[in-house]
Amino acid sequence: MRDNQQLHTVHRIRDRLAQCLIYSAVFLVGAVFIWILADLARGGIMHLSWEFITESPRDAGRAGGIASILISTLLILCVALIAAVPLAWSTAILLVECMPAASSFGKTVRFSLHVLAGVPSIVFGLFGNAFFSIYLGLGFSILSGGLTLACMLLPILTSTAEAGLRAVPDTYRLSASALGMTRTATLIHLILPAAAPALAAGLLLGIGRALAETAALLFTSGYVERMPGSLLDSGRALALHIFDLSMNVPGGDMPAYASALVLVTLLLCINILAMKLAYGLQRWRIMT
Amino acid sequence: MKNCAKYLLINLFCLIIWASWLTSVSAASQRLIVTGSSTVAPLMSEIARRFELQHPEVRIDVQTGGSSRGINDVRRGIADIGMVSRALKPNEDDLHAFSIAMDGIGIIVHASNPVRSLNPKQIADIYTGKITHWKSVGGPNARITVVNKAEGRSTLELFLDYLQLKNSAVKPHIIIGDNAQGIKTVTGNPHAIGYVSIGAAAYEAQRGTPIRLLALNGVTASVENVHSGIFPLSRPLNLITSRVPQGIIRAFIEFARSPQLYPLIEAHYFVPIDTD
Repeated sequence: MRDNQQLHTVHRIRDRLAQCLIYSAVFLVGAVFIWILADLARGGIMHLSWEFITESPRDAGRAGGIASILISTLLILCVALIAAVPLAWSTAILLVECMPAASSFGKTVRFSLHVLAGVPSIVFGLFGNAFFSIYLGLGFSILSGGLTLACMLLPILTSTAEAGLRAVPDTYRLSASALGMTRTATLIHLILPAAAPALAAGLLLGIGRALAETAALLFTSGYVERMPGSLLDSGRALALHIFDLSMNVPGGDMPAYASALVLVTLLLCINILAMKLAYGLQRWRIMT
Repeated sequence: MKNCAKYLLINLFCLIIWASWLTSVSAASQRLIVTGSSTVAPLMSEIARRFELQHPEVRIDVQTGGSSRGINDVRRGIADIGMVSRALKPNEDDLHAFSIAMDGIGIIVHASNPVRSLNPKQIADIYTGKITHWKSVGGPNARITVVNKAEGRSTLELFLDYLQLKNSAVKPHIIIGDNAQGIKTVTGNPHAIGYVSIGAAAYEAQRGTPIRLLALNGVTASVENVHSGIFPLSRPLNLITSRVPQGIIRAFIEFARSPQLYPLIEAHYFVPIDTD
């Protein structure tokens, strides 16, 4: 009886220990995020104002705001997403819905996507510069920057979407076909909404990577800080602006902090919005 | 619920229309492309902005990528004007160079380092790994962290040329890119030695960043000494063209060299050149 109790205490202590370790890991992860955010806020909040967001940069970014750069960044992101999302998601649908998982074609596509995902961004930049800017004659432009980013996003979007679609239980597909639904109807009304959170998570990863991209955009969308008048104009991305301010412009630290704060806030907003949208879509689609 | 989808479709349609409008709007009639040295690029974007204010029909796109890129792009005709932050070499005499400013290269250490001056021999020995401790040159008993510039940077070429070194002989611990990065690296490492643009370093030191410019051969590293030409390690910042500049290119280069821009050049911590 006594032995039993002792064992019980040992187990409890061990459980507590494991619990403590897990909590401290969670705390550590949260602390890193909060630390980054606090550091950015401390350095940048003084410089942040409404004018900072609505004015164009002057004096190499040391004065003025980041309006034109924000617009360029969003345009680059739009181009990248419009080009990459349909391609990536249809590839994922093909791989999951229309191919046996073990087919050699599927394996080849998956392998090449994995290789593509591991290619450093500077390589994409050089490729984009050689192909879009020079060979296709797009020059330094938002269009060539966006298309280069689209190439970078393809593997992330495809593999996350593929994993999401595979996670939808096969019973859904079987039940749908037992009810006489066509494959297209099943896909639109059942499988895509069920996979929506995974698709959204992949989209978020992609947006995050696209917004953070510096190296690939230096060679494709360029360095010009003017307000873009067309998609064929060169436009500086926000991450590139931060890099230039902190590494190349003496006295650019304050605006760099403020721009980084804007970038992080933008990311947070997009994340929250996309999450909300995905869950809404899932509930609405499956119910109707 | 159906309405929702309809609105989404309409929005998408509007977006496409808007995007196609964006691509179809014609840009200003004349466009100049300037590429090259990342050191000159922030200054050049500002000069370009002021030039555009005076000539609304012209658009000037400034791109970076380094001096070698500027030379390549001008030779291949991709760019109209190149920015090169060093004097042209003998094998580059097919190009026309126009200096717009001077820039001095200063050796920097952390402010807590008691060393005040080094001679070229000592610097060369530090960079080739013959001197590894600060003690040998009158500093604290600590290993020297050697900060070098990345391959292709004009600052590196100028520095090696001055010390008569080959880059393969240099044994760096840290390799950096731009000036501000060099200053941050030395700020964060009390035993580091590096070399950056004097103007930028003097500005940071005056703002309270813990770095110090070392005198070279007894000459203080200051903007004044670069201006008067006493300081041995300095370089011109050049604009280059492949042909004798005509028309708008000529107007732009003349504008960049005009005295009204001296305050701007000084605000970017470079040294204006008296052209006349």
